[in-house]
Amino acid sequence: MSEAFKKVVSKIDPSIGIVSGLVLLLVIAGFFVSDRFGTTQNLLNILENSVSLGLASMGQTLVILTGGIDLSIGGIISLTSCLTSGVINGNSSLMFPVIAGVLLLGIAIGALNGVLIVRLGVHPLIVTLGMSMVLQGVTLMYTLEPPGAMPLSWDLVAYGKLLGVPVAPLVMVLIFIAMWAFLKKARLGRYIFAVGGNAEAARLSGIRQNRVVVFVYTACGFFATLTGLYLVSRMGIGDPRIGGYYMLSSITPVVVGGTILAGGKGGVIGTLIGVYLIIVLRNLLNFMDITSFYQWIIEGVIIIVAVSFYVERKKV
Amino acid sequence: MAETVLQVKSVTKHFPGVVALNQVDFNNYAGEIHALVGENGAGKSTLIKVIAGAYQPDGGEIIFGGQKTVWDSPHQSREAGISVIYQEFNLFPDLTVAENIFMGNEPLKAFRLIDYPKMIKESDELLSKFGICIEPLKKVKDLSVAEQQMVEIAKGMCNQTKLFILDEPTAGISDQEAETLFERLAVLKAEGVSVIYISHRLGEIFQIADRVTVLKDGNLVDTFDTKAIDKNTLVSKMVGRDLEDIYPPKGGEAGGEALSIKSLSVGHLVKDVSFSLRQGEILGLAGLVGSRRTELAHGLFGSLPITAGSYKLGGREVSATNPQASIRSGLGFLTEDRKNEGLVLGQSIEANITMPILAQFANNSLVDFKREKNFCQQEMDKYAIVAKSGEVLVNNLSGGNQQKVLFSRWVQACGGVLILDEPTRGVDVGAKVEIYKIIRDLAESGLAILLISSELQEVVGMCDRVVVMKEGRLAGELENDQISEESIMHLATLSRENFVCD
Ligand SMILES: Nc1ncnc2c1ncn2[C@@H]1O[C@H](COP(=O)(O)OP(=O)(O)OP(=O)(O)O)[C@@H](O)[C@H]1O
Ligand SMILES: [Mg+2]
Repeated sequence: MSEAFKKVVSKIDPSIGIVSGLVLLLVIAGFFVSDRFGTTQNLLNILENSVSLGLASMGQTLVILTGGIDLSIGGIISLTSCLTSGVINGNSSLMFPVIAGVLLLGIAIGALNGVLIVRLGVHPLIVTLGMSMVLQGVTLMYTLEPPGAMPLSWDLVAYGKLLGVPVAPLVMVLIFIAMWAFLKKARLGRYIFAVGGNAEAARLSGIRQNRVVVFVYTACGFFATLTGLYLVSRMGIGDPRIGGYYMLSSITPVVVGGTILAGGKGGVIGTLIGVYLIIVLRNLLNFMDITSFYQWIIEGVIIIVAVSFYVERKKV
Repeated sequence: MAETVLQVKSVTKHFPGVVALNQVDFNNYAGEIHALVGENGAGKSTLIKVIAGAYQPDGGEIIFGGQKTVWDSPHQSREAGISVIYQEFNLFPDLTVAENIFMGNEPLKAFRLIDYPKMIKESDELLSKFGICIEPLKKVKDLSVAEQQMVEIAKGMCNQTKLFILDEPTAGISDQEAETLFERLAVLKAEGVSVIYISHRLGEIFQIADRVTVLKDGNLVDTFDTKAIDKNTLVSKMVGRDLEDIYPPKGGEAGGEALSIKSLSVGHLVKDVSFSLRQGEILGLAGLVGSRRTELAHGLFGSLPITAGSYKLGGREVSATNPQASIRSGLGFLTEDRKNEGLVLGQSIEANITMPILAQFANNSLVDFKREKNFCQQEMDKYAIVAKSGEVLVNNLSGGNQQKVLFSRWVQACGGVLILDEPTRGVDVGAKVEIYKIIRDLAESGLAILLISSELQEVVGMCDRVVVMKEGRLAGELENDQISEESIMHLATLSRENFVCD
């Protein structure tokens, strides 16, 4: 490896340092707050709780890096989770065709988002907001209650362990690492940053910017569907209202992790640590017996304070 | 006759309310440098954007390499071997220099992964061919405007091209860097590459171009052999009239001290600079790219922190640490980076002109639109800003006209000392003459003017006195007869042989 290459790798954004520091602080605080915090059981809990938020924010990061936003993540999660358990309805022979079908559906919805944004020239916020309403409506037309049931074996997705290590949280981390490498080293990954940094310049540089945009929304649809499938596994059943929470929460780890809303700057590693920040914080507040209203307030303050640290100030 | 690489046949392009190109014919041979000139808004940039597929023409056809082509995106023209350096920067501020240079053209390994070591090595080689020291891993947003221009040029050079188009590549870089560019172009030309070159610096055109085509108001005037035409004729073809002297006569009495700077430092960028400026005087601030002239101006204006020393405005010590306070104490600053630091591109000409002085048009904090409109119309006439009305968005103006909008704003807003950083960047000869006259008139009316310019002719032609900076320090001062291109260059480059890349 050449000297110069090492330099590229070592150039880590300061925001990652700040969020990591915050997570570390919270973990240390956790040990003081309750002796149950440090138990293996609780730590596994934290890891498991982070999977769904992690998968949803993964897709959101890609979209935000191009300067867009995807508000339809929640709708996709609700719809795919209900369809999965509703159609399978305990019949394990249907499992693989349905899961494959649902994944295709999620990808298609994401691609449709991208195509609409590119073709109509309407701002992503509007397109995906509209899409999210459509999807939520369709889901509620399909079912008002958690529908059907999953075969027991699907539990393995959420609760499976390999040599005592829970698989799902590990896979999530591996996905993040893979996406990090993709953004850093693949040409398409660079183009995501280019489109977010300066869309017109990207076009004039001969980058097919529309393809990049369609790609990130498609990927986002895919990750949202994974989130839905994971949630079905955790709860054993789909839920027509479960996605609502992810519509905005999927943005929080992204911005806390140092990706800027305007696009062109940031990355998935920051998002991963941002996810842990949120989950550890919630875990901690639960131990402190703080009611959820206060949790919201504290979370809100932390977001603003954390992001205010990275705002670039003019320096000499 | 050499092979014809590009043929543009009767191309027309309309924008709402403007005919940017009206049945223009144009052709380019292999191994020639073909200059494209014309006033601001004549349609030069539009023509090359049509050639490159960034705009689709409303009529006519383009034949490239013997084949009729219809590009619907710049991607296609690039694949076909057309490389363009656009007038406005097309860089990615948060990406590195190397990533910028190879954007859209990355050296790849297996699986479409980018070969970083190769990319960095090649960027380094490319940049050093231009004799400039820019670290390939630096982020572009940390570069000066001139350095960014060099990156932009390097970006255009990294391609295997048949047709190389440069839209005002030398705006804002100094003559020294321009020379290295010309050497590179000569090499490309010898290799048979066909070049289209747009510039408002006519000297360059006679130096490097084989043919020159003149556009006026979207129409083709004519194409000439550069050997068969002289500068005055060319100018009259461009502006449709003869120009008398480009620079207004110097002179006028300098009055009291308007600005005095004592051992001023701005971080580690500018070190220990002292000079003074009197009312009615035009003081040139010259130096090479990266000599920190702009940073000094930002220090004075309060947009970069001053770390040592002090300065006085009109005899009073200034402790301004932000631009608002500086504007109030009478300082105006026309920034060199019109896109990022100057104009609000998505707003109208009017809004941009009156931005810092909106209070003057307000009665009880309500804006008097009629008065604002009238005022802006006068300004547009004065500077010959080509646009349908004052409501046109600045985004849709040609580069030179954007510059005039910015100029008008700061002349209005300033109350004692006006700092002009590359004020004629991208402005056509006709308008330049106007702007020079306005600058001189302003000085005669008592304003003190600090003129930062990389165009030596301009400094020599306009300034009563010149201070030269080198690597953040003052290298010397020249007065009256001492001012010449040679003497400025001498001070600016003094002991540059010892200069090493850090
Ligand atoms: N995107 C656009 N929308 C509307 N009008 C435009 C647009 N681009 C250019 N124009 C108009 O077309 C005309 C030609 O502009 P162009 O940029 O080609 O001029 P130019 O010759 O390059 O001038 P300059 O020397 O100032 O760069 C101008 O009147 C300009 O206002
Ligand atoms: Mg132009």
